[in-house]
Amino acid sequence: MTSKDFIRQSDGLGSAAAKSQSFWRIIHTDPSLLVGLLLLCAFGLFVLFSASGRDEGVVQRQGLTMIVGIVVMFVVAQFNVHFFRRWAPSMYAAGIALLGVVLLIGVEAKGAKSWLDLPGLPSFQPSELMKFVLPMLVAWYLASRPLPPRFKHLFWSAVMILLPTALIVLQNDTGTAIMVAMSGIFVVLLAGIRRRIVIGGALALLMVSPAWYLFLAQEHQKNRILTFFNPYRDPTGAGYNIIQSQIAIGSGGIYGKGYTLGAQSNLDFIPESNTDFILAVLAEEFGLLGILFLISLYLFVLVRGCHIAYRATDMFSRLLAGSITLTFFLYVFVNMAMVSGLLPVIGVPLPLMSRGGTSIVTFFIGFGLLMSIQTGGRLKVR
Amino acid sequence: MTGKWQLKDHEAERALFDRRLAVAAVFIALLFAALIAKLVNLQVFKHDYFSVRSDGNRIHSQFIPPPRGLIFDRNGELLADNQPIFNLTVVREQVEDMESTLSFLSTLIRLNEDDIEQFNNRMRRNRVPFSSVPLRYVLTEEEKSRFAVNSHKLPGIAIEHQFVRQYPLAALTAHSVGYVSEINREELDRMSDAERENYGGTNHIGKTGIERTYEELLHGTVGYEIVEKNNRGQVMGTLDRTDPVAGKNITLHMDSRLQIAAEQALGEFRGAIVAIDPATGGILAMVSKPGFDPNLFVTGISTRDYKVLVTDEINTPLFDRSTNPYPPGSTIKPFLGLSGLHNGLVDYEFAIEDPGYFRLPGVSYRWGDYTLRTAIGGGHGHTNLQKAIYQSCDTFFYALGNRMGIDTIHQFMSQFGFGENFALDISYARTGVLPSREWKMASRGEPWYPGDTINSSIGQGYMWATPLQLATAVSIIANKGKVVQPRMLKEIEGQAFQGDIKNAVPDVMLNDPDYWRFMEEAMTMVVHRPYSDTFRDYGTAYEAIAMADRDMSYKMAGKSGSAQVVGISQEIFHSTDIIVSDLNKDHGLFIAFAPTENIQISPQIAVAVFVENGEYGSSVAGPIAKQVIDTYLLDILQIDFAAMEAATDSLISQVDD
Repeated sequence: MTSKDFIRQSDGLGSAAAKSQSFWRIIHTDPSLLVGLLLLCAFGLFVLFSASGRDEGVVQRQGLTMIVGIVVMFVVAQFNVHFFRRWAPSMYAAGIALLGVVLLIGVEAKGAKSWLDLPGLPSFQPSELMKFVLPMLVAWYLASRPLPPRFKHLFWSAVMILLPTALIVLQNDTGTAIMVAMSGIFVVLLAGIRRRIVIGGALALLMVSPAWYLFLAQEHQKNRILTFFNPYRDPTGAGYNIIQSQIAIGSGGIYGKGYTLGAQSNLDFIPESNTDFILAVLAEEFGLLGILFLISLYLFVLVRGCHIAYRATDMFSRLLAGSITLTFFLYVFVNMAMVSGLLPVIGVPLPLMSRGGTSIVTFFIGFGLLMSIQTGGRLKVR
Repeated sequence: MTGKWQLKDHEAERALFDRRLAVAAVFIALLFAALIAKLVNLQVFKHDYFSVRSDGNRIHSQFIPPPRGLIFDRNGELLADNQPIFNLTVVREQVEDMESTLSFLSTLIRLNEDDIEQFNNRMRRNRVPFSSVPLRYVLTEEEKSRFAVNSHKLPGIAIEHQFVRQYPLAALTAHSVGYVSEINREELDRMSDAERENYGGTNHIGKTGIERTYEELLHGTVGYEIVEKNNRGQVMGTLDRTDPVAGKNITLHMDSRLQIAAEQALGEFRGAIVAIDPATGGILAMVSKPGFDPNLFVTGISTRDYKVLVTDEINTPLFDRSTNPYPPGSTIKPFLGLSGLHNGLVDYEFAIEDPGYFRLPGVSYRWGDYTLRTAIGGGHGHTNLQKAIYQSCDTFFYALGNRMGIDTIHQFMSQFGFGENFALDISYARTGVLPSREWKMASRGEPWYPGDTINSSIGQGYMWATPLQLATAVSIIANKGKVVQPRMLKEIEGQAFQGDIKNAVPDVMLNDPDYWRFMEEAMTMVVHRPYSDTFRDYGTAYEAIAMADRDMSYKMAGKSGSAQVVGISQEIFHSTDIIVSDLNKDHGLFIAFAPTENIQISPQIAVAVFVENGEYGSSVAGPIAKQVIDTYLLDILQIDFAAMEAATDSLISQVDD
């Protein structure tokens, strides 16, 4: 009521803005976020054209996938956020069931048995969906409990996180497992878990990791870590990717070699230049300035995500929005850090830049949820 | 904490969430900052380093070897050609299982342990990733097709071609033209940096003969190509290119028809023949028999083949008989005779009464006449210089040499190239020995004895000369003293080769130029003086040459010689496989030039024939020389001596009228 009065008082100057705002609310869309995402998509397609060796087919397919993603995002945004809250436990149960089905009849690709190829549906990875379903459930669970969460609640949260994580690890897809686990952990962190526990947990992880390395880690995982510390121990094998991508990035310099003029990528020295290592192409052709431009686009989206989380009216929405935003950031950071040699190689795509179907649609589902939170919460107040 | 249903404090919870969100934002900022720091480090501070690495990745400079110059004979026949061969190569990165690939390959092509070991050695050397490494050289057509059918099962294995030397005459030119073979470490170490760079793309270098002498001319200048390669080593584009400069094509004086004829003329004998065009010094033929197939060395001779060549101590095919010295025997008599005339020790009439032996005053030892060893004994009786030549009278030359003394012999004979290498471009030829007091003191540590002079006077003892030297010396007689240094090279890319004029050897000047005619006459008698009633008054080679060919249309001058075999190794001496007496036989020699006593043309060819264990100079080496001269004058130059004689006769009769 009071806001209505305020709008009426500031007539003339505010009515146009109010009108347009109401338009965006009606279609449940956050214009700022949309602009940020469209810019990212456009830039992504632009870079992909060069990275794919000027293959228009690849760019067209990627563009089509992005359109599908944006449509999915609009659809998701139309649902009220409380719909997701109500259905969180069921969706979680369904997700776990799907993960179980994948273990039984899943299709293997690139060493991970994570794909589900059901008749009549495009093949997809149920594990990707868990990145939203898991934080939904944890947020649903913790939002109705007093915060900071108590130990008992933390225990159950941990169970909720570990169950899908374990199933995905069994699919031999450690990278996704880590990301899914992190999406749940972000909720717990945002819910105000006590600092002691966070620090204790981090220390424990640090202590356990050598043991993991010695007793549990598989050969290829050990290799990746050894390669991270010294890529030149096997320059034509395990270290090849990181050496070549560093050469590409470094030789790009501040201004880059120019669009489609990246020698490293055009001459196929960069492996996976369309997918996980697309940043190397960008860095080579557009230099440091290109990367800074990309980072600022991501920052814009991240700031908007944080803003949505900050402005959300209820705790479930806040926790979910925060987790989605942080998961998105995690993807961006891990990929960039891996390509530039700051982290060991983990197969993680660069959001909206890397070529790929499921990952792009999944990110848009996340942004759909953010928009649902942004526009849905307000509508409810009205 | 107190009860199950503690009331939610929305404001506090919200504040807690906001704080956590703020912490998350700080983390995001920090992590991005770390990322940017890393990128700045890579792109700003290490930019130069990575730029070089990037260029090194894609930009490869590759050498383009120049095509080696071809070698032609005087008629444009190829003596050394470049032919493509096909090699099997391996790109290690593209081979999945080396072990099984090699075992499968060995069912398709000949691949022995030697090949695989050499291949592994090449692999161990530093190499660029995705570069191809040769596994087997010279695939046969059959192997190529067998591989082609199966190549889809053999990723990373390919056939590459390369140009290598090929010698059409094979063993015939093995020593004179020589051969190229893979460059070795030593040869590379000897080169200057610039030279080594010039050989960057070349695998082969001239090892012997012309191939070695004119290596610089034949090799050419290496070219460069700067190319951009992708990560599979495929060339994506050429950034810069400097074309190689092909090696020069050269033409030799050699006439391959004469070379073939000379080799055939030797028949079953081991030996050497050198034929020179006296007008130019051009070497028309230079044969050392037996030869070997130089093509074996080009792509790397197998240990087995090489062993066969080096362990054959009788035939010693690798040994170049044409440029290595032997005792020249009586073939030096014409030169000694000229020296006698020039130095006033004898004249045309001077004669001795030959008892068949020579004795130094006050010494009881008799130097017998070798030429009469198997004959009925006694001497040559009344013997002047010409008879001493055509009858090859040792006693005459013992006495002449004794009177002349070694110093004069040495001084005079060195003008004909004895003890020296007159050849312009056969630097590897040995110089033999033209003995002197200084030489004996230096090499033996002994003074010169008068007896040494006696031995030297008939080309024995310390006197050693190569067939090349003998041919050179006899060509000087044919030229009446004009020295034309022997040479192999005739033209470079069609331009006549002049040779090094600064170091030209002075002509031989005699007190009376008629001495040349006199000696030519004496040497012509060696071949043409027939049997008569007078005892021992025919040419030593008459029976084997002039009498054997009654239709001989031209006259030739010659001198036979035989030399005692020295230094047969004990190993061969006691070998049961060989009849020792064969290896103990004298070497037969014959020097000749033709035509002589021809008022229309000067001598066209000078020849030295050396027949190892041929026993007789006149009857074994002589006919061989005749055969070579016949081929050159009658078959190659196609001189019609009958027509020439008829023209001369009619001219004379016109003058008479």
